[in-house]
Amino acid sequence: MSTHTQAPAGNDAAPFEGWPLVLRDSVKEVFSLMVGTEIIVPDQADPAVVTEVTGMVGLAGELCGVLSLRCGKGCASKIASRMLDVPITEAASNMADAIGEICNMVAGNFKAKLHGMQDKCMLSVPTIITGGDYQLFSVAVGDRIELPFLFDGEAVWIALEIRS
Amino acid sequence: MSIRALIVDDSSVMRKIVERCLRQAGMDLGQVQEASNGAEALALVNENRFDLILSDINMPVMDGLEFIRHLKEMESGKNIPIVMITTEGGEKSVLEALSLGAKGYIRKPFTPDQVKDHVIPVLGSQS
Repeated sequence: MSTHTQAPAGNDAAPFEGWPLVLRDSVKEVFSLMVGTEIIVPDQADPAVVTEVTGMVGLAGELCGVLSLRCGKGCASKIASRMLDVPITEAASNMADAIGEICNMVAGNFKAKLHGMQDKCMLSVPTIITGGDYQLFSVAVGDRIELPFLFDGEAVWIALEIRS
Repeated sequence: MSIRALIVDDSSVMRKIVERCLRQAGMDLGQVQEASNGAEALALVNENRFDLILSDINMPVMDGLEFIRHLKEMESGKNIPIVMITTEGGEKSVLEALSLGAKGYIRKPFTPDQVKDHVIPVLGSQS
């Protein structure tokens, strides 16, 4: 769908300028194809971060870091509901699974769009945290791309922390 | 004749989406069974007959590539067409899956049409 972006050569993992756009396209594509709902980039002020559900996928290899998604519980249930095409009440038990799979697909789609990175970077199995009273410390000290989105009017934040 | 399918993915949400795509493709699905990893899938293949397997690669316990290796050694499994559906869509993993005996490869995220386009020819080649 969108064009490939050059990945950094060798171990130079500093993100290129175009990476936020690649990440944005990756997120939009996953929501459009797998959730069946367009996710919107807010054109005004960034939406408030509501952290009740956090999904994370690790990236290892030439591109090393963590991709995470944060949103509210209601929003996560709504995403699961759309993915499964069932009412929200039925989808609530699949909320964590759905968010984990979204993280997995966004990370996979992102690396697929970085030319030459697909075989040089492996993804972990997703991890989901529910609740917001935690602090996340990543060993991926380096660059961070964080993008806000709106899903049905609710905030979804996607972050990619890249170890350099 | 209805198709007996086995869907292998560690995400139950993804298993449901794949099943829905198969039905949207107009396939006459009979029994559809699910497994959350390769080891569970092998146990189901031992006890049931399947016409089609769709499997993820990146799964805990036993991944999709290891699953194909074991499947192809089983008398009951070696002739079942298997299509991989995964985020690991690099050339290396595609070639490895195909060399192990996978008949097709679909990268997530996917459309129902992509599932149809990859699965129908595989079933056709069986008849």
